[in-house]
Amino acid sequence: MKSSVIYEGKHHKWVVFGRDESKPEKIIDTNQYLICTDTESMLLDPGGIELFSPMLTGILGYTELSKLTTLFASHQDPDIISSLGLWDKTIPKAKLYAPWLWEGFIRHFGMENIEFMAVKDEGGEIKLGSNNFRLIPAHYLHSSGNFNVYDPEAKILMSGDLGASLEKGDVPMFVEDFGEHVAHMEYFHRRWMPSNRAKMNWIARVKELDIKIMAPQHGRIFKDDDVQEFLAWFEKLDVGCA
Amino acid sequence: MTVHVENNQEIGCFIIVATVVAQLDIILVEAKNLSLAAKNARVVAIRAGEAALGFKSITNFIDEFSTKTIQTTQEINQHSNLLFKLALEQLRASQFEHHINRAYSLNDKSHIEIKRIKNDATQIFRESLTRFNSEMQALTLQFEEIRQQMRAAEYIAVTSRVEASQAGEYCDSLESVSDYIASAALRIKSAISINLSTLSQLKRIKVSG
Repeated sequence: MKSSVIYEGKHHKWVVFGRDESKPEKIIDTNQYLICTDTESMLLDPGGIELFSPMLTGILGYTELSKLTTLFASHQDPDIISSLGLWDKTIPKAKLYAPWLWEGFIRHFGMENIEFMAVKDEGGEIKLGSNNFRLIPAHYLHSSGNFNVYDPEAKILMSGDLGASLEKGDVPMFVEDFGEHVAHMEYFHRRWMPSNRAKMNWIARVKELDIKIMAPQHGRIFKDDDVQEFLAWFEKLDVGCA
Repeated sequence: MTVHVENNQEIGCFIIVATVVAQLDIILVEAKNLSLAAKNARVVAIRAGEAALGFKSITNFIDEFSTKTIQTTQEINQHSNLLFKLALEQLRASQFEHHINRAYSLNDKSHIEIKRIKNDATQIFRESLTRFNSEMQALTLQFEEIRQQMRAAEYIAVTSRVEASQAGEYCDSLESVSDYIASAALRIKSAISINLSTLSQLKRIKVSG
């Protein structure tokens, strides 16, 4: 499992994990994000059961387990949170923030110890150390109960499946040429995103945020101007097509 | 009955519990029929009067052990949810141990926290195994109890046949009750033998696993 620090500030840092060489071939590659503050850490979209072991090993390079107090699941998919049953035994005192809509479904992955923190449809906040993170609604993109995480200090939006791309091989962590990158995103967004109305709502909401890094759950991360390029491209894209 | 559990002992536990629970229905149906046969036999014995006095008292025994068998079987049935829960707990504990061992092998420095979780994982797995085995032991004892009741049923079938032979014109119908008790006891014993053999297969999985 590769990892790199994508932001390091006064109070906290963001680490991305992905491009796992040991993952079975037919499993989709995912990005997992760890936010470390001095006192606490949070894992965003912890990943599937197959990634648990390399993730655990990777995380310990950045934080102590006793500080890993919080998990966040943007939605209910197996590549997002099917490792929950194993985290439940590893960090039993942790809290899981996830859409209220999916509680009964997510519990199927096995959750006897971790506390479920239901996120309301309108979103909310997670406090971690001295930092606050905003939960931005992204419903129906693609999941019917879905949130992004926005960090106002680092100006990072963890955008879940929005901005995801499907590329084979050991691809770089960041988008290098937006024009070339479109080819890897188009099918995913047309097919997985079901609603143009939901898309426009989300774009309007996200345009109000000051974003330097947009970090999706699959594929490359967007920086600076590429974030706005993505929003402009996505706005024009007709989604919900099979 | 051989349950094919292949190489996954935890999935094997699920299959074995399911096999045992499926056999419970057979025992329950036979025990209910026995109870009904006892009630019918009592009516015939009352009608036969003096000639079937001995048989009448035997029907009370039949009713008593069939009621007890129904009760024990229903207790086991209620227990099956717990057994499935424990089998699931064990499956998860085993998966946890497997993934932690993998993390341990991935980490060159054998991080102290992974070592600690590795020990915890082994402990969690052992504890879940102990709970599952202890419940299975209790289940085996419950089946042994029913088997004892069926031995008594076979004995009563023989005694009732002697009593039936003295019941004059009611002899045939009471003899058929005796035959029914003997055959039902045999069927219940056979279902129990299947279950005990399935449970012993579980013990073998545990030893070799």
